[in-house]
Amino acid sequence: LYNFVLTIPVYFSDDKDQNICGIGRQWLESILVSTECNGNGFHREMVTTVKFSPDVPNVLNVLLVHKLPRGIYVDPYQLATLNDSDSHLQILLDSPINLEAPAHRTGGFSALLYATLVGQRSKLLKKSIPIHCRYHEPSFGDQKAVIVNIGSPDLLLRSETCNDGSNFKSYSIVDAPCTATNSSICSWVQIRLNKEQSHVSLQIPVGDGSLVIHVICGTLLVTFICCSALSLKIWKHRVLT
Amino acid sequence: MERYTSWFAKKHFLFPASFIIRLALVIYGDYQDRTMEVKYTDIDYHVFTDAARFITQGESPCNRSTYRYAPVLAWILTPNIYLNFTFGKILFILCDVLTGLLIYQYLCLRGISSEVACRVCSLWLLNPLPMGVSSRGNAESILTALVLCTLLCLEGRRLTWAAALYGLSVHMKIYPVTYALPIALALRTQVTPGVGREAVHPQRRGWGSSLWGFLRSFLNGELLLFAVVAAIVFFGLGALFYHMYGWDFLHETYLYHLTRRDIRHNFSPYFYMLYLTADSEWSQWLGLAAFVPQLALLLLVSWVHHRDLALCCFLHTAIFVSFNKVCTSQYFLWYLCLLPLVIPNLSLSTWQGVALLALWFTGQGAWLGPAYFLEFKGHNTFLAIWLAGLLFLVINCFILVQIVVHYRPVAQAAQGRKDK
Repeated sequence: LYNFVLTIPVYFSDDKDQNICGIGRQWLESILVSTECNGNGFHREMVTTVKFSPDVPNVLNVLLVHKLPRGIYVDPYQLATLNDSDSHLQILLDSPINLEAPAHRTGGFSALLYATLVGQRSKLLKKSIPIHCRYHEPSFGDQKAVIVNIGSPDLLLRSETCNDGSNFKSYSIVDAPCTATNSSICSWVQIRLNKEQSHVSLQIPVGDGSLVIHVICGTLLVTFICCSALSLKIWKHRVLT
Repeated sequence: MERYTSWFAKKHFLFPASFIIRLALVIYGDYQDRTMEVKYTDIDYHVFTDAARFITQGESPCNRSTYRYAPVLAWILTPNIYLNFTFGKILFILCDVLTGLLIYQYLCLRGISSEVACRVCSLWLLNPLPMGVSSRGNAESILTALVLCTLLCLEGRRLTWAAALYGLSVHMKIYPVTYALPIALALRTQVTPGVGREAVHPQRRGWGSSLWGFLRSFLNGELLLFAVVAAIVFFGLGALFYHMYGWDFLHETYLYHLTRRDIRHNFSPYFYMLYLTADSEWSQWLGLAAFVPQLALLLLVSWVHHRDLALCCFLHTAIFVSFNKVCTSQYFLWYLCLLPLVIPNLSLSTWQGVALLALWFTGQGAWLGPAYFLEFKGHNTFLAIWLAGLLFLVINCFILVQIVVHYRPVAQAAQGRKDK
């Protein structure tokens, strides 16, 4: 269900005035993509902003491919709830997500975020995805947190009216699902971007492994004392009655 | 004040009022879900509903990730899909009020007056904790109703019904299985010292004879009836759903809970120890070490208090939850529903009771503070959470000690009420 194929033949052209399906090359190269994470703790919002120059072509399909590391996950059921609400978040995940596994027992994944630009009014695309941080292995040094980096997404475009791949010889062509329903595969044009920031860093707290002996001894001592005290009282009360 | 609290003593007011309050919370919850960013409905309710949707599509409810409940719950909630999303919540609040009614019936059966029984029931029916839990869509009220119905049937000596309800309870959630030992001890033939062969040759009674006598006491018609009916219900339902859903059903409903090691922060005193040692070679041994106090206390309580099943089951569940390797706030309802059965027999004053309650909430608050800063602000508060977990265990044990020390057995309590 999630499989899609990437094919990346690359050709280069120096013709800056090339017009591709009515889309100017300069317009394509002026697109800016940025990613930021709002919030703190284990539950955050990953906001991706795509800025287009004016004169957006009539209808343009946009696909943002987020390659997320294993320290992060999205809840597909939460996304389904958002999909039903007004936010209309169209996301396709490339693999099943284990909601409970710690980071070192799972892997990264890709989240494909679909959007459609319509008309000249759409100069800014801003999409927010709720993400959650996984528990990481305890640290045995001075670190109190691990750093998880999220890179900027890949931007892919597709026009409904212009599907001839020969027009895009100077760009990478990628095969990916046409929509979030993953019912068919389309060819997308991958845009080389002037990225405003290379990655977002999240700090996720981790346990202090150097205290393991103290924690084990303290926990077992307290539970043993509580168990003994409660047992004595239960037995003593039984004897008295 | 007396005029207002007198309303709590009137069952014709108390039960309808408690249902209306819960219904109002369900309606408000729907409004909050539609208009605010922070949702009222618990995530578990969405899990149940998604699982019910899978059933309506002819699939297994276990296909829903994190659905760790009996399939029968998803089947019961299929009207969430066919009728309305809030069907399940209405069912849960009805079970919540039913729990209160069962508490009332049990207390009346024990000889408590209707007025006192109503006042005690109000501790459950007007308690914001169960109100919030059931109106947010947690299914704990189904279990509390089943467990209380089992105890009520046992008290009324309706053993077939008690056994069937007990089998269903254990099928739906595994924790009532701990009641098996006290129920067995309560139903076995009670040996009266100084009667029969033991009175004739008391000096010649050896360990072997005592052990044989103890084991023989379990060969009792009532106990066998209970065991057979409970086993038929439990294994019958298990076989049915295994046939329908296979290994996934067994794993998600039972095995996951038996082997669960949640390293994420929770109220358990063992949380941090298990997190730090999750991948070490000590992990299995530490898990076993954590099980020993729980098992020892459950065996002791079963032996000492099996003649008073309400107290025994309350202590059982409170100990089980407090010493468990995972503990979330929903687990508190498992023993809070049994506390009203115990309260009429406590010699604690009202102020002492309020002080213990305040202590219990303080223990929770001491944990919730650092947990909030860890989960929602990203501060490293693991050490504070661990210490708060240990403190909460100490507080829970202190409260249980006070209950045990101030508990007057049923006969003494009845005499006390008669003397008054």
